[in-house]
Amino acid sequence: MAWRSLPLLALLALGALAGTARAAAPATQGAGPQVRVDLISETAAVEPGGAFWVGIRQRIAPGWHTYWINPGDSGEAMTVAWDLPSGVTAGPLVWPHPERIPVGPAVSYGYSNEVVVLTRITAPAGLSPGDRLALRGRASWLVCAKICIPEEADYALTLAVAARSAPDPRSAPAIAAARRAVPVPSPWPGRYATTPHSVTLTVAAPELRAERVGDVWFFPARWGVIDHAAPQDATVDGSGITLRLTRGAIVEAAEGPIDGVLVIRERLDGGMVSQAFAIQAVSSGAPAHAGAPVISLLEAVGLALLGGLVLNLMPCVLPVLSIKALALVAHADAGPAAARRHGLAYAAGVLASFGALAGGLLILRAGGAQIGWGFQLQSPLVVTLLAYLFFALALALSGVWLVGGRLTGLGHGLAARPGLTGTFFTGALAAVAATPCTAPFMGVAVGYAVTQPAAAALLVFEALGLGLALPFLVLSLVPAWRRRLPRPGAWMEWLKQALAFPLYATAAWLVWVLSHQAGPEALAAALGGLVLIAFAAWLSGRTRDARPRWRRAGSAAAATAVAAALALGPLALSAPTSAPPAAAATTGPAAARWSPSRVTELRAQGKPVFVNFTAAWCITCLVNERVALHSPVVADAFARKGVTYLKADWTSRSAEIATALGTFGRNGVPLYVVYPAGETGAPTVLPQILSEGTILEAIEGL
Amino acid sequence: MTPEPLSRRDFLVRTGSAAALIGAIDGLARALPAEAAAAKVGEAAPAFTSTSTSGAAVSLAEHRGKLVILEWTNHDCPYVRKHYDTGNMQALQRETTGAGVVWLTIISSAPGEQGHVKPAQADELTASRKAAPTAVLLDPKGEVGKMYGATNTPHMYLVDKAGVLVYAGAIDDRPTSRRGDVQGANNYVRAALQSVAAGQPVKTPVTRAYGCTVKYS
Repeated sequence: MAWRSLPLLALLALGALAGTARAAAPATQGAGPQVRVDLISETAAVEPGGAFWVGIRQRIAPGWHTYWINPGDSGEAMTVAWDLPSGVTAGPLVWPHPERIPVGPAVSYGYSNEVVVLTRITAPAGLSPGDRLALRGRASWLVCAKICIPEEADYALTLAVAARSAPDPRSAPAIAAARRAVPVPSPWPGRYATTPHSVTLTVAAPELRAERVGDVWFFPARWGVIDHAAPQDATVDGSGITLRLTRGAIVEAAEGPIDGVLVIRERLDGGMVSQAFAIQAVSSGAPAHAGAPVISLLEAVGLALLGGLVLNLMPCVLPVLSIKALALVAHADAGPAAARRHGLAYAAGVLASFGALAGGLLILRAGGAQIGWGFQLQSPLVVTLLAYLFFALALALSGVWLVGGRLTGLGHGLAARPGLTGTFFTGALAAVAATPCTAPFMGVAVGYAVTQPAAAALLVFEALGLGLALPFLVLSLVPAWRRRLPRPGAWMEWLKQALAFPLYATAAWLVWVLSHQAGPEALAAALGGLVLIAFAAWLSGRTRDARPRWRRAGSAAAATAVAAALALGPLALSAPTSAPPAAAATTGPAAARWSPSRVTELRAQGKPVFVNFTAAWCITCLVNERVALHSPVVADAFARKGVTYLKADWTSRSAEIATALGTFGRNGVPLYVVYPAGETGAPTVLPQILSEGTILEAIEGL
Repeated sequence: MTPEPLSRRDFLVRTGSAAALIGAIDGLARALPAEAAAAKVGEAAPAFTSTSTSGAAVSLAEHRGKLVILEWTNHDCPYVRKHYDTGNMQALQRETTGAGVVWLTIISSAPGEQGHVKPAQADELTASRKAAPTAVLLDPKGEVGKMYGATNTPHMYLVDKAGVLVYAGAIDDRPTSRRGDVQGANNYVRAALQSVAAGQPVKTPVTRAYGCTVKYS
């Protein structure tokens, strides 16, 4: 070619560049494939029986793109056909999250420049070191710029077999980057509501902060759910993310749960980072587990009534109810009028209690909270108090002490007027006792209620209460039924004491719930509180028949013990236990609380330290923990190198943490710092986007 | 989880049925806001008048009382070629027009874009491929295409005798460019015609159209 034409070519190229952001390419049209494909592996050497990630890497010519599993308005995702030695298995393709590709009036979902589609390969255990493992296959894909070309190519890779697997330093970073771009399960529940024209997706992530969220996009896994080309209107506020989407062409696609990927761009110190979450949004009207049953108010009331009836049989309610029934048995001679009064008082107590519960729920819901039945159990304080209550009731049934002299009306005062107040509160107590329990039919009814206007919601809750009150109410109103009750006798004491055990079990369960919600400190406090409650019950029981002076002293001591138990609960909770419940389930290294002095101390003891500066509202921190920091491999490396893992939680601002961030030139999280042992070595700051490899490298370098 | 047309994606695309002209610059392409008057299955098909290769004005309204099939095409798109090179599209054209159905092939490629043709070229393609549409309409400004939300080639629509849009989407359930997949595929257009003939609602009225993007300006 003549050199003379070069300036002209350059001019043309410039012109093309000026015309568009992603022009360039098509000059190579016809000169070969637009996508070069190769197979890369995170390991250079495989151990027998080992599993490892490989990636089919597409290097895409500038200006061209390939497609995600849901290609959007047009296009087609890559498919592969493996040709593997016997005994080797390849898992399904795992796709990094896509980007939006507008083409004319349409929008496709896919990739440009480069994408690595992952597969997990499992090697047979029968291999021996020195063998070679040959992986090959054929990939087919569609690549489009303005025009589309189907392409395909073979790929192959031969790996060594060794006693211990070894990473491939050249390919591991690309695999790690791809794994980071694969959506992680969303830690926040998603819900959606539809109109004929729109789908509103809500993600309950109250900890997110609007100023950190740059932009949010939802990629549905299925075609037809939403209009791909329509704008997505996102807002981030105190309740989380709300996305207003335009409904897609397939009407029934938005009837079941909606699967997809939520990509959130987060502002970090150094710029924007995209994080992807796999989310399954359920219809707002449905309980989170079932599909989306559409029911009417009448059906909901019926189900609630039925659910309330069944609640009577639950271990937390049955003992309370039985006590009332036993009282009726013991005083069958008290006359029908007295029985009727007590039945009504009990029902009134239940209904009042349910009314209060529903009211609380409605008020919180009006405040934007995503709550349902049992929301009160989300508060560790309420859980602690309920555990005390159940334990105290169980002790009463065991005969350790007596409630108010006559156990909620079990004594002689049934016919007496003051007994009615006691009965009312027994009803209220039965409703409170019912809260940790759920019964069949209840879920649907309550799920319906929380999406309805206040009056309808209240009606459903009161139907639930009426169902709960009904057995005792009927028993007390219908003399014929009462006559069928067995005769009083010694069996009543047996039954009463036996019924203590469901209550002990409920208390034990509540304590277990608390241990998950609030950690070991709260658990210790609650157990201490239970000991105090037992002490108070014992004192009260021992001194009730003593001389007045002793009785008063006993009561005072018992009251003090109860007060101490009550004070212990909140005390434990105000102690800064940071670990959010979501992180509790991970398998990573155990983290201790960070403080500057702790770092100095540990290093002086000759221990290296890894500090994770994080916050519950930091999306990137969350993803880093899920994909890298909390992996078993990292925990193993920490243990091997004797690294102490400290966590500095900036969820609530702290001057101490802010200062520490400042010393690294940062004013936000995430920040990951590795301190070598000793007092002199300079700390290493890891990138804000973590991979297992980055952490391992830093740890191995200690 | 995946809808029906997506569920059988296990295929091998044949290599390099290379396309012809280079599309200019897709950076110019803008995502247009969804039009309010866009076609919707189950509602009246939007009225349009376009120009056929003979220069005659052809409107949807003039075919009221007959079934009308709309086919968006681009003769250089590998997915269109899958159905023309195998004779699949022509067979369906003959079968339907023989039964009194009106078949309008619509080309919405803008000037300079892949698939854009002059009237004479379009007629020549019809002759050389032994195609049998009622008429080929030229829509270089993409007006009809955007009105119907046509995103792909091929993209198929069926309008019933009352002028209601009863099907929109793919030609069949094999979203590949492999010619071998024509055999044994479930042809959605044929199935829709059968439902309409039996006086029943179309079983799958909307599917994901597959193919190349329509080359709007």
